[in-house]
Amino acid sequence: MLLAKARTLLAVYFAYMLEYRAEIVFWILGGLSPFFFMAAWSEAARLGHTAYSALEYARYFFAVFVARQLAIVWANWTFSDWVRTGRLSFYLLQPLDPMWRLLADHVGERGVRLPMLAAIGAVFAALFPGALVWPGWGPFLLGLAASTLAFLLSFFVAYSVGLLAFWFEDATEIFELWYVLVLFFSGMLAPLTLYPEAVQRVLAWTPFPHLVYLPAALWSGFEPAGAWGFAVLLAWTAVFFVVSRVLWRLGRSRYSAMGA
Amino acid sequence: MRYLRLVAIFWSASTAARMEYRAAFAVALLAAFVETGGKLFGVYLFYSSGYDLGGWRWQEALLVLGFAQLLDAFFLLIFQPNLRRISEMVQDGTLDFVLLKPVDSQFWVSVQKLDPIGLPYLLLGLAVLAYGGSASGITGAGWVWLAAAGTGAVLLAYALAFLLATTSIWFVKIFNVVFFLSSMIWSAQYPVQAYTRPFRLFMTFVLPVYFMTTAPAELALGRGDGAAPLAVFLVAAGLFGLSRAFWRFALRYYTSASS
Repeated sequence: MLLAKARTLLAVYFAYMLEYRAEIVFWILGGLSPFFFMAAWSEAARLGHTAYSALEYARYFFAVFVARQLAIVWANWTFSDWVRTGRLSFYLLQPLDPMWRLLADHVGERGVRLPMLAAIGAVFAALFPGALVWPGWGPFLLGLAASTLAFLLSFFVAYSVGLLAFWFEDATEIFELWYVLVLFFSGMLAPLTLYPEAVQRVLAWTPFPHLVYLPAALWSGFEPAGAWGFAVLLAWTAVFFVVSRVLWRLGRSRYSAMGA
Repeated sequence: MRYLRLVAIFWSASTAARMEYRAAFAVALLAAFVETGGKLFGVYLFYSSGYDLGGWRWQEALLVLGFAQLLDAFFLLIFQPNLRRISEMVQDGTLDFVLLKPVDSQFWVSVQKLDPIGLPYLLLGLAVLAYGGSASGITGAGWVWLAAAGTGAVLLAYALAFLLATTSIWFVKIFNVVFFLSSMIWSAQYPVQAYTRPFRLFMTFVLPVYFMTTAPAELALGRGDGAAPLAVFLVAAGLFGLSRAFWRFALRYYTSASS
């Protein structure tokens, strides 16, 4: 029963996302910025200024790119849109928590995104021979686990922000703030090991470095799996899961739809 | 003159509408500070590991960063809200109403909205430019060059964004293009000399990122080899002309909603 529901939802949202292929292409292209950071750091490495080689940077930033692509979320937009336009009313009539619908929307989109990522990976491997190295099953699976957790955490943060639409007209700016913090403190600018020591120590407690750096470092062989990163990631995921559940309980009773 | 008055009316109306969401503005203000801080931190990371971004003193590199921030601000302030509207208007056919007005249609769809959320970014960008300029010892003529080149770069970015947004006449839903462009500006926050050679060529000849930030900074500093940075004005004027021609061409294919 539950499985059938999940299958239907995923199939529906996969088909729905297929319609937006062109959009997703541009979205992926917009996410190419790690490669520019790669180019800058590779040049630094060529001139002998940093601890890593150009090839290591290429490997790292490709992994960063993939990690970011797999953790992209938009639940904040979708949900606040449902509330504003009153579409949520229809979903409330169904015996299914709208959270699952949103989650299926995101997971289904990964199905469209993955083949495109594979194509970009092939181009990348051709342009930078030797940069793509199979990390081995252990690190690969651990990295996948980390990036799945990172996706779930991002999802619950975005969903919580979306839920704020029950109280505020326009809350989705808050997510912008989260996004900016992720941008700078997740290891996208440079491998985290190049950050000043004090910054690294503080960041270790926040979810940011584990969102991108943890899976990327595992895939590119920068660092053996640290239990710490997983623990922090898991803890923050649990926190935001609970936050989203509480907001949903509280907000539901305030919801008055359009014209109701 | 009439166009200036129109702009004043448009912008005060959209600012008023936006100010209904004051909390959002406060959050955006905070985000602007965090983002600027983060970008400066990014530059710091390079210099602290001893890499000078391809031969730039850090004060000079801040000028490049400032120009990138300036363009980013214009994206948030004007380009993004307006150009997203184009694809919306094509989708529901309201572009008709714009075309019927006795005003240049490209002008109308380009400036009708203003999102004050970009304002803190603009001010912080100007602050970075002012600091970077005075720290690298720019003189009077340098500041004039800085202003002129900055204007050219903004025009260039506008023309590029408008060109891409115009394609929505055919491909209706394509407003992610604007997102793509604004993230390309991300690559413009460092001088192109900082990148490996293939990227440097790509960013000069394919994506005109070089002309958006590096060239203006070179003009202000009076560095760079010969006339190359001056091409920013040429490229900007060329792309602007192209965007006008392309808009007129695309309109011929616009068939409104009911016809």
